Amino acid sequence: MEAEHDVLVVGAGLAGMRAAIEAHDAGADVAMISKLHPTRSHSAAAEGGINAALGNAEEDSPEDHAFDTVKGSDYLGDQDAIQILCEEAPEDVYQLEQWGAVFSRAEDGRIAQRPFGAAGHPRTAYAADITGHVLVQVLYEQVLKRDLKIYEEFFVWKLVEHEDRCQGVIAWNLLDGGLVSIGAKTVILATGGAGRLYTGTTNAYACTGDGMAMALEVGVGLEDMEMMQFHPTTLAPTGVLITEGCRGEGAYLLNSEGDRFLERYAPHAMELASRDVISRAEQTEIDEGRGIDGNVLLDLRHLGAEKILERLHGTRELSMVFLGVDPVFEPIPVRPGAHYHMGGIDTDVWGRTALEGLYAAGECACVSVHGANRLGGNALMETITFGKRAGAHAADWALSHTTIEVPVSAEADADRELRELLGRAEGERPWSIRNELAETMHDNFGVFRREAEMLEQGEIVASLRERYNHVVVEDKGNVFNNDLTQTLELGFLLELADCMVVAGIERKESRGAHARPHDHPERDDENFLRHTIVTWRDGAPKLNWKPVTVTRWQPMERSY
Amino acid sequence: MWRGDSGGGGFVGYEIESQVGMVVLDAMREIQRSQAKDLAVRWNCKAAKCGCCAAEVNGRPRLMCKTRLDDFQPGEEIRVEPMRAFPIVRDLVTDVSWNYEVDKRIPPFTPKQDAVWRIGQEDVDRMGEFRKCIECFLCQDVCHVLREHQLKNGYFGPRFMIRIASLEMHPLDALDRTELTGGEAGIGLCNITKCCSEVCPEGIGITDNAIIPLKERVADRRYDPLAALMRRLGRARWRQGSAR
Repeated sequence: MEAEHDVLVVGAGLAGMRAAIEAHDAGADVAMISKLHPTRSHSAAAEGGINAALGNAEEDSPEDHAFDTVKGSDYLGDQDAIQILCEEAPEDVYQLEQWGAVFSRAEDGRIAQRPFGAAGHPRTAYAADITGHVLVQVLYEQVLKRDLKIYEEFFVWKLVEHEDRCQGVIAWNLLDGGLVSIGAKTVILATGGAGRLYTGTTNAYACTGDGMAMALEVGVGLEDMEMMQFHPTTLAPTGVLITEGCRGEGAYLLNSEGDRFLERYAPHAMELASRDVISRAEQTEIDEGRGIDGNVLLDLRHLGAEKILERLHGTRELSMVFLGVDPVFEPIPVRPGAHYHMGGIDTDVWGRTALEGLYAAGECACVSVHGANRLGGNALMETITFGKRAGAHAADWALSHTTIEVPVSAEADADRELRELLGRAEGERPWSIRNELAETMHDNFGVFRREAEMLEQGEIVASLRERYNHVVVEDKGNVFNNDLTQTLELGFLLELADCMVVAGIERKESRGAHARPHDHPERDDENFLRHTIVTWRDGAPKLNWKPVTVTRWQPMERSY
Repeated sequence: MWRGDSGGGGFVGYEIESQVGMVVLDAMREIQRSQAKDLAVRWNCKAAKCGCCAAEVNGRPRLMCKTRLDDFQPGEEIRVEPMRAFPIVRDLVTDVSWNYEVDKRIPPFTPKQDAVWRIGQEDVDRMGEFRKCIECFLCQDVCHVLREHQLKNGYFGPRFMIRIASLEMHPLDALDRTELTGGEAGIGLCNITKCCSEVCPEGIGITDNAIIPLKERVADRRYDPLAALMRRLGRARWRQGSAR
């Protein structure tokens, strides 16, 4: 063992940093470990805002926030968890402000709140259009203030399971090379999502679902894996995200005929309907020939140059740099892109998993607060509130237990596996496997899903996994070997794809982001008001079900 | 592209087929896929937000994900090298950890004791620009004080002038970092050449909006005789741009 800690947080984005801060403040010896410098984490790309029932714009309440979230989740969200999120949110946002987060303000100097998708009252607090970025800076400052240890540019590859506890991790040192094992009484996974499963994704390259796959490998279940949110406004071909904030400020979505087509899909909420509803609407328009080169148009022109420059400056920049389109004068071509993974590691409301000592928080976890579809602004809130809760609970647990053991066999096994991989002299390079995975997932497991295509995707993934067994890493060096880390990431992605497809096939209904308009177009509460749980048995996914926790709101028809 | 490590290296030529909308980062990835399979390069968001892919392209510090290939002529040689102000790890990856160490020397945001959490949007806007910084360190890379004169033990660099400014201009921050700015942070070493402002991918007016105002504060504190007198008489606390 290289080192030992009470709490080891894997991933240093918002959820990871918030968990580490909380665990430290609870008295534990905390360290973070991340394959990136913390401020490079994808949390920093979040733009639109963070939801809390502060009641600054309009009268609001945690109950209203909770109901909007429950409805937004298409009733798949666990209502006890949602109530906790909405009740704790206001305090957590004020805490961020007191740590120096500079939110945009209302006329009276209080934190401003703006309308966002599927929200009954405007409750999205924001920092211009760089909310995630500002929060990452604020949390990083708090991390530095507490002088927390960070293992930077260490690629965590495996969790150590010993005597029915998670007791640490095994990681590859990206800067100098070599495997290290770090023991910990508790491990909190905060590794984010897996958008890199798809070609058109808003996610950064590092979003490869590492934590989810590692949890899977130590026997922990993954929940609602089929639920991948497609964000309605992404740029082709890069997948760069255009924030929902545009629509919050009043932008329109138009098809090739110049119509605000949402009139036909979500007549009340229009452009501020739930993301899954809008993505499906866009995809339908595109599929039925009313798109332009596979896109629809996001029109900001009527907002006027002043408003665009003041509130949507970042959007304008992105549009001009990556597409050469100035939204002051022209509409922006956009299309749905894989954006956020509602599914993830099955946890309870304290971030605990089925393996003692192992926690998860943020996008990689599934509590579930988002169910089958996430509201814009709730993800940032989740990272803070549940990051905090996981940190608190993990610290508590760690402080009441004494031993850590990373068995030599765990280190030896990892070492052997790695040497075998690096020792291979020839084989297929991971690039082609990764590209094929992303393209086929896009085609066969995208916005709309069909049984035949999903079954085919299952076979494609199986054959890609077989090819992966013979993959070659050509860079045999020690210093900054990202050929190796990309290969290991691909291994994770393939396992997750397998789980997603299995879950998607078995959920024989349409709910939230899982849309099967051809064979199961309706939501089926009688049979499917439950979560899919996939566990790993003998190298393959095995499916089970878990009921949804309903406390206050019985499922109703969901329309916007 | 420059290939090598801390022991040395040199430029190696590669050819790729360019496509519409391709940026230098895409070119690097294509070269990594097909020709330089062990290329070491940092990248993540590909949307000019994470700050990972900072490099020097044809001698100019730029983000690779934001540098379009159609800025160059077809057939033109495009030279990509690591940021020269920092020690090389390998190929295009440099060791920027000095910056993280400097960060620790700046006292963080500390709210006033009796803070009332009402802030005007004008105050937010004043700092808004500084908060955009993605820590790509292109400004640090180009600053001649750090790059040519290697005065890393004398000057924190433009990025940290931005950081100090964003803290100083927060209306509810209780600390005064003026002494730090003029002393340890070495703002006096900046001679307003403004190269930093020119290379900032976020368009932050580093020199005009942060460095010059901070220099003015330091000068007032140290060299204004009237201000010194007032301080001695204990009549006023001089904080420019302070809270209402």
